[in-house]
Amino acid sequence: MLTLIKREIRDNIVYFLGAAILTAILIVITVSVAYNMGRDYGVYAGLSLPVIVILMIGFSGMGVSQMYTDKARKISAFLTALPVSRNQILLARIVTGILAILTVVLPFIITSMALAYLFVPPIPIFSSMIFDIFAVAFLLGFACYCLGLMTGWTASKITPIPGCLVLTFILTSLIIVKGFGSCAKGILTLFIVACLIRTWQKFMSTSL
Amino acid sequence: MNDNVINVENLVKYFDGRCVLDGINFNVPQGCIYGLLGRNGAGKTTIIRILLGIEPATRGRTCLLDTESTNLSPGIRGRIGCVAEGHNLIQSYKVGRLIKLCKNLSLQWNDESFDHLMETFRLPKDRKIKDLSMGMRAQLNLSLAMAIDPELLILDDPTLGLDTVARRQFLELAIEVIQKQGRTILFCSHILSDVERIAERIGILAAGKLVVDCPLEQLKERVRKLRIIFGEAPPANLYLTEIINQQIQGREMTVTVANWNRQKQAILETFKPSSCTEIPMSLEDIFIECTRPNPQPVEIA
Repeated sequence: MLTLIKREIRDNIVYFLGAAILTAILIVITVSVAYNMGRDYGVYAGLSLPVIVILMIGFSGMGVSQMYTDKARKISAFLTALPVSRNQILLARIVTGILAILTVVLPFIITSMALAYLFVPPIPIFSSMIFDIFAVAFLLGFACYCLGLMTGWTASKITPIPGCLVLTFILTSLIIVKGFGSCAKGILTLFIVACLIRTWQKFMSTSL
Repeated sequence: MNDNVINVENLVKYFDGRCVLDGINFNVPQGCIYGLLGRNGAGKTTIIRILLGIEPATRGRTCLLDTESTNLSPGIRGRIGCVAEGHNLIQSYKVGRLIKLCKNLSLQWNDESFDHLMETFRLPKDRKIKDLSMGMRAQLNLSLAMAIDPELLILDDPTLGLDTVARRQFLELAIEVIQKQGRTILFCSHILSDVERIAERIGILAAGKLVVDCPLEQLKERVRKLRIIFGEAPPANLYLTEIINQQIQGREMTVTVANWNRQKQAILETFKPSSCTEIPMSLEDIFIECTRPNPQPVEIA
């Protein structure tokens, strides 16, 4: 299993590097806003929103790329000739996706907690708010990634891109509409479960 | 638990409404080398893909090493070596990286045998798979399949793209594997002389059906091609069953009959032919006769 995860990370290293660079940009923006701009949240949102959208598209793209490359190059067909099951291949892929999302979320949560410690009064509501924001951010990233996995398992190069892009934008706008509350969490969780079930069913039953 | 390493029962496969496999049944016992033959598009690769669980069957049941193909666990897969048609290795990898991946994923790895093969084939470890020639890819694929000391070796047109020397090396390797007790091989190829050289049992696919499934020697015994010369014009009907092919030219009739036996010989003698000579048939001749479009396919089993 570890070998499969390592293989996936190495094959998709560009997404990890991209995620790390964008996270660094996001952290720089957050710290700059916190220190220099008098915590002007309008400016912060204006600067960070495009980065977040690019990150989400990146996660979708990673899922699409993993599945499409597999189908086009018959990677799973080769791997299943080794002592590997389809379940293990898919699981390794999902774990890799989670790791890529954590590459973004973990450094950002650490930075935010440090900034909150420095600038925000020690009231429990703030720490629970930070937790909610990062739970939703993780779920959003994972939902976009799962969407990519589901749409990427196709022989067509064109089909996954527009559908995936539209749904990624809808998912990202969901947070703007619903905020970071339990409703958004619930919707994202349901979406993730539905995407994973469909991906698993497609990946297990179709020819490799 | 049964002695058959491969079981195929009533296998049916449709592709976009077109029937490719129509009720295929065969078994491969332990230690047997089974040569599966058929023309392009006959369904050989499809059978192998269904056996390996890569392709779902429309109907029927296939088992490898007593396990249904759809439920092959990594433990069972680790006992099967496979050389796929077209050698679908991971094209973007370097040879060294692919070897490391296969070694790490395998349950057992025979370094000695693998290094010996790499030396024999002189495969460069620092080149990308996509930069290798078809022949080199075939050699790498074969080396990877052999390195796990497989109990069952599935070879789908493994010598495709190999030159004469490499083909000979491959066949010698296959024979080496066979000599290890209990090893079973399922071997598909278009090069019938290769199959004839190593296979014990032959299956021939034609029009979605397995028209031949018997030991190679028995096949050569059972299929007879006869040149019969009659005193007058040949009879319109010989009243022989299982005629694969029949051609008439003047007083001469050339007939290929399946499942030849004394009864058929006696029927033929009632027509009192002037002469009847047997034309020797190689596996290639038998293959061509059996895969000829025939309104009533004859089964030899």
